[in-house]
Amino acid sequence: MNNKVNIVLAAGLIACGLTLVNARYQSRHLFIELERLQQQSRQLDIDWAQLQLDQSTLGKNERIEQIARTELNMTPLTPARTQYLTEGAR
Amino acid sequence: MKRDKPFTSGRAATGRVAASKGMAFSKSPVLAVRLPDWRSRVVLFVLFAAFAALGLRALWLQGMSTGFLQKQGKSRYERTLELPATRGKIMDRNGQVLASSLPVKAVWAIPEDVLASPPEKLRELARLLEMPESELRKKLDSDRTFVYLKRQVEMDVIAKIEKLKISGLDTRKEYKRFYPQGEVMTHMVGFTNVEDVGQEGMELAQQKSLVGVPGSRRVIKDRLGRIVEDLGFSREPHDGKDLTLSVDSKLQYIAFTSIKNAVEKFNAKAGAAVVLDVHTGEVLALANYPTYNPNDRTKLTGEQLRNRVITDTYEPGSIIKPVTVALGLETKRITPNTTFDVSPGYIMITGKRIRDTHDYGVRTVGGIIQKSSNVGVVKISQLIPPQEMWEMYTKLGFGQAPRFGFPGPAAGRVRPWKSWRPIEYANMAFGHGLSVSLLQMARAYMIFARNGDMIPLSFVKVNEEPVGQQIISPKTAGQVRTMLESVVSPEGTASRAQVAGYRVGGKTGTAQKLVNGHYSQTSYVGSFVGIAPMSKPRFIIAVMVDDPKGAVHTGGGVAAPTFADLAANALRAHNIPPDSSVTDIIIPENPLEEGL
Repeated sequence: MNNKVNIVLAAGLIACGLTLVNARYQSRHLFIELERLQQQSRQLDIDWAQLQLDQSTLGKNERIEQIARTELNMTPLTPARTQYLTEGAR
Repeated sequence: MKRDKPFTSGRAATGRVAASKGMAFSKSPVLAVRLPDWRSRVVLFVLFAAFAALGLRALWLQGMSTGFLQKQGKSRYERTLELPATRGKIMDRNGQVLASSLPVKAVWAIPEDVLASPPEKLRELARLLEMPESELRKKLDSDRTFVYLKRQVEMDVIAKIEKLKISGLDTRKEYKRFYPQGEVMTHMVGFTNVEDVGQEGMELAQQKSLVGVPGSRRVIKDRLGRIVEDLGFSREPHDGKDLTLSVDSKLQYIAFTSIKNAVEKFNAKAGAAVVLDVHTGEVLALANYPTYNPNDRTKLTGEQLRNRVITDTYEPGSIIKPVTVALGLETKRITPNTTFDVSPGYIMITGKRIRDTHDYGVRTVGGIIQKSSNVGVVKISQLIPPQEMWEMYTKLGFGQAPRFGFPGPAAGRVRPWKSWRPIEYANMAFGHGLSVSLLQMARAYMIFARNGDMIPLSFVKVNEEPVGQQIISPKTAGQVRTMLESVVSPEGTASRAQVAGYRVGGKTGTAQKLVNGHYSQTSYVGSFVGIAPMSKPRFIIAVMVDDPKGAVHTGGGVAAPTFADLAANALRAHNIPPDSSVTDIIIPENPLEEGL
């Protein structure tokens, strides 16, 4: 009887030990994954900042005006050649 | 002794037998020699002493120096990671980025090691760092063990440098600030130095909230350098807060282009313009010319750096006349229809003569403003005690450094009323003998553009409309607005400020510059402060052209057309419907110019 209990307990202990090892292993793996993803998020933040900067640089009014005037041959609007439509009026 | 018993017991007879000599082991004669007892005791004692020493040592390590040892152990597998914090972005009111930090690297070297590498590698390095090889060698010719070769090198260049594999060369992470809008926005935004500390403009004003707090954390790294366990933060990093300015990129560009064109066209020394939102008190645009590129500040001069809107003061000239008139109207000493005889075109004050350009005869108060008659305004001012005038100036903020969170605002100069001599008071009525900044002047016009109240100015975006402080009555404000509109007509001094399709109003100002303490006869400052559109004021636009050397130098000649250009584009850009059907502007052949 005593012997049986010992065997069961020993088996339980070994099982516990193994699950602990496994849990530890899993946690490390997940942690590394977390680290990797955090790193990725930082990189994405940087990329986003870079893209915002690019957008601002490319969307500069100076550049838009330059392109509108030279490449697209556009001219500024004047009230003299503008037709205003008033909502509700006939 | 018990120990000796085995050798002498009866078991010896049946004991083992030494095979070679046919003799029992216990009978061996060697064993017959008896060792002295003290020897075994010495051995025992030595062993005991050795164990005791080990025990003490163990006790010492475990008990006394445990902290030190644990620290040493941890330092073998624990690492402290520095977590840098990013400086906050600066954005305009529509979310367009005006300043942003990106990670770059500083290249540093241990000179001795780097100099030992092959010369062609050094040549390549110099090329990548964009400096002559001689300069690189000069930097390396140093006794120190740490020399920065170049700071703020962009990441793609770093990748190429790392491929060279030069020993003794290393990099350090840092941030570089980029300003995509460049010279257009720089007087508003400012810039930071290489250490990421704000030096000018909003970068300086908001340094505390923009800057981040770097943090650090403890981790355990494995053999491959991967982080396997987090031991928590020693200090949590905090990124700097983003800042949304009141400025509108589009309006800023319009203001900048207008002022740049004006400076070039009128051959002026400099120019400045500011656009305020009438409803919120936000500064929508603030432009200066000459300017500089904040991304490349190697050839920066003080002249370029100067923010003429805020830190420069000048004598405003006729721009101040509506203030004098408003006070007269407010205190019921005059009405818009009160007439003054301003002939013969000059007035004597304690022996000094104050002149107009023409003899305007008998004029109403409105006519005096429209023609910018000095004599008329002096006559109005004579009805007002100096103390009341001084109080008005103070309420408008003249003579006090404004507090709106921008570095280095000029206070301007208004002397205490008790020391005003009659001639000085007369001069002040038309804007001489006191000095203001362009921004103070634009702000003072708030009382006309709004219904007589004044609101604080803001350089950051305002989400709710501020509550104003009433200075003059709405009725007076309306009366002055009508006069200001009449100035911008073919008969007024600002005929060139007219904007097709819109009703605008404003006042011109021309002042002689003070050169070495005397009024110069050749250097002037032409300025204009206007309100647009008149039917429902939206913008206050102030323009200043410093020292124009062309054919015209008056406010009506140089600042008014700049205002018209700026206002027309600003109104269009903001989709403000026209409030006038007049689309053909009449500018008289000889527009009326104001006097000094």
